[in-house]
Amino acid sequence: MSNKPKVYALSTCPYCKRTRRFLDEHKIAYDCIEVDMLDDAKQDEVLEEVEKLTGRRSFPVVIVGKEIIVGHDEDKLKKAFKL
Amino acid sequence: MTVHENMRVYCPVCQAKFRFAPGWKEGDVVICPICGQKLRLKRSGDEWTGDRPEKGTEKEIRERVDEYARLKVFVFNDMKEELVQGLLAKNRRFGDFYCPCRMEHVPEFMCPCKPTRGGDVERNGKCYCGLYWKKV
Repeated sequence: MSNKPKVYALSTCPYCKRTRRFLDEHKIAYDCIEVDMLDDAKQDEVLEEVEKLTGRRSFPVVIVGKEIIVGHDEDKLKKAFKL
Repeated sequence: MTVHENMRVYCPVCQAKFRFAPGWKEGDVVICPICGQKLRLKRSGDEWTGDRPEKGTEKEIRERVDEYARLKVFVFNDMKEELVQGLLAKNRRFGDFYCPCRMEHVPEFMCPCKPTRGGDVERNGKCYCGLYWKKV
């Protein structure tokens, strides 16, 4: 299993885009899942995963180590990635 | 034909009915007072509905967003343009202007979404995605 940070995002959400841009600008490699672009069966599976992790279906979600960041929050991202 | 006081016009965006105003006639372009959508009045049988004259265009959603904010006296912040781009992407990918921050592509989440029309901005200071803000 990959240890890379994981981002759950919606392809149309500007906050998800900002989070991805922030990680890109800081040259942080991550795996991104655009949940709305998945087929129905995979989408259900991923949504359940997100709900289990965060208790809701809100995006973006960033998983870095044991930390889970919901929403675009640069302060939390900086702290989590020690920037 | 007599226009009765209790006549209503059905809006296909917010799926609600609003009062038919005196003087309106078939073909007139009016604004839905609930969601800000521009509608062309059409009579079908005993019912009045509104067609979306610029359905699915950028002009349609930009006008609706601005009109709704004007009607409700809401304001925007610097995320507006990015959120409008998200709405345009929703339309391209999922067939209509659904909230860019929601997963569900259902009529109640067409912008302005049902929770917004139900008072979310007044209660929370902003709508779910942060397009509409309460004026302070």
